[in-house]
Amino acid sequence: MILFKDVGFEYEPGQPVLQNINLELEPGQVVGLMGENGAGKTTLVKHINGLLKPTTGAVYVNNIDTRDTSTAQLAKTVGFVFQNADHQLFADTLQAEVAFGLRNLGFSKEEVDNRVAQYLELFGLTRYGGQSPFLLSGGERKRLALASVLCVEPKVLILDEPTQAQDALQKAKLLNFIDSFRDPEHILLLVTHDVEFAIRAVDRLIILSNGQLIADGSPNQILSTPRLLDRARLLPPQLTQFAHQMAKQFPQFPTNVTTLDETIEAVNQLLRGRR
Amino acid sequence: MAAIFEAFRFKQKATFMHSLDPRTTFFMAVTFSIIGMLFLQIIPLLLVFLSMVPFILFARSTRQWFKSLQGLAILAGFILIINSFFISFSFAISTVLRLIVLMTAFSLFFLTVHPDDFALALIKMHIPYEFAFAFSMAVRYVPTIATETETIRDAQMSRGLELERGNILQKVRNYIPILIPIIVSSIRRALQVAESLESRAFGSTAKRTSLYDLSLRKRDYAMLLVTTFALIFALFVAFVVRIQFPFLLPDWFFWSLPF
Ligand SMILES: Nc1ncnc2c1ncn2[C@@H]1O[C@H](COP(=O)(O)OP(=O)(O)OP(=O)(O)O)[C@@H](O)[C@H]1O
Ligand SMILES: [Mg+2]
Repeated sequence: MILFKDVGFEYEPGQPVLQNINLELEPGQVVGLMGENGAGKTTLVKHINGLLKPTTGAVYVNNIDTRDTSTAQLAKTVGFVFQNADHQLFADTLQAEVAFGLRNLGFSKEEVDNRVAQYLELFGLTRYGGQSPFLLSGGERKRLALASVLCVEPKVLILDEPTQAQDALQKAKLLNFIDSFRDPEHILLLVTHDVEFAIRAVDRLIILSNGQLIADGSPNQILSTPRLLDRARLLPPQLTQFAHQMAKQFPQFPTNVTTLDETIEAVNQLLRGRR
Repeated sequence: MAAIFEAFRFKQKATFMHSLDPRTTFFMAVTFSIIGMLFLQIIPLLLVFLSMVPFILFARSTRQWFKSLQGLAILAGFILIINSFFISFSFAISTVLRLIVLMTAFSLFFLTVHPDDFALALIKMHIPYEFAFAFSMAVRYVPTIATETETIRDAQMSRGLELERGNILQKVRNYIPILIPIIVSSIRRALQVAESLESRAFGSTAKRTSLYDLSLRKRDYAMLLVTTFALIFALFVAFVVRIQFPFLLPDWFFWSLPF
């Protein structure tokens, strides 16, 4: 479990980037974190694996205060995939890249070999195994970065803007992966600007604006509240925009729809009513 | 590690130092460096150092400058140990002082001169535009690389990298996962920038005009004059007095620690 208690943070004294953050993340949840550029999303998630320590308040990961431990220690529990894969790839081969984290955390030689093979396979990279990571395409590098973090099987996973520069197929694959990670043991925190992706991926959505939490609830409810979207500089999902257009003509049309199923249902209702 | 770059991150401020022409600031920085190189006695170096402090204060950049010195700490520690071991502690101290003087001179320049003005100054000094441009690009990318270095370090630490682990050799090796991504992404960026420059017709005309021009003002002439005097005085002391008439110099000039 992750707990933010009255967390405040500033990079430069007197310029708070996070204020009064109170947040609890339970296993079993896929949580989305959204907010405008510079809202403090990256800053917030860096507190979870101790890269940043709160200026005021405290952050607990499984009841351990992050100030009492190191990022290397937390790396066993918290996996963090950064936005840009090029910021983490460095090894001669894909195998060595995946093995890096495992070795740092002291896995046995045998276990390292097993996991490397397993995770390269999982992300469809086995055939490049002995090749240099720098020869991969952008999307492949991104997947390798993901594999090299996931191989340690962290209970908590943080993905910072994983859909950036990914084609529809890669997004669908990522969605699959997220669904497979959704179980009673794991917490997944997804930082994104991609409304359409969030609506399909997350169970709970948190909105951060100008360093403060302004909303926390079901994606459906939040993404259909124009005021919140406006503050987080997000466009409503297309289907919600559609619903608002419909409601102008047919006042009974519900505006809180976000998914395709809900929209179809609403349209059916409307048609039935008019028949 | 990234702290050292902090010293060179230009910030626009309305101060006397920022208002000087880049050529003036350049001349001042070079002069301070030369004077720093002329002497290797503790007290003269301290004096050079103290004479620079007001300028740092004028530029309202004390904090950044301090960070640059922090970045120097490892190197300074190294010099201190090696020199005290092979020569003397006194010599080690003066070497470190010299390092601090040089660092201060350069951070004074980079903290108060906008990279664009710097390029303009080079062109005024008849350096070909391509070189001036390359130089200002290099300076401009320092902060970018600094920020990137921090991100890369964060990313690798999230994968369990511990920089402080192991003996000296191991500690150096610990930096490989940070250095390689820096180099690779710098090369990637350089290629991108080159392509983007060419696609915007870089170098298509031989003679360029510029939107802003530099001009020396009264304050520049005043500073240039003072700096020139300081340089002449230092050269005179170093090459004439110290060599021909060392007895003219006060005792404190040669003062050193007894060990
Ligand atoms: N290393 C740093 N030093 C100083 N200020 C920083 C640093 N990193 C971020 N900031 C500032 O903190 C604020 C929040 O930045 P952060 O990166 O957390 O935003 P974000 O919500 O992740 O934005 P984006 O959507 O653009 O990724 C910004 O105003 C930024 O300028
Ligand atoms: Mg961010």
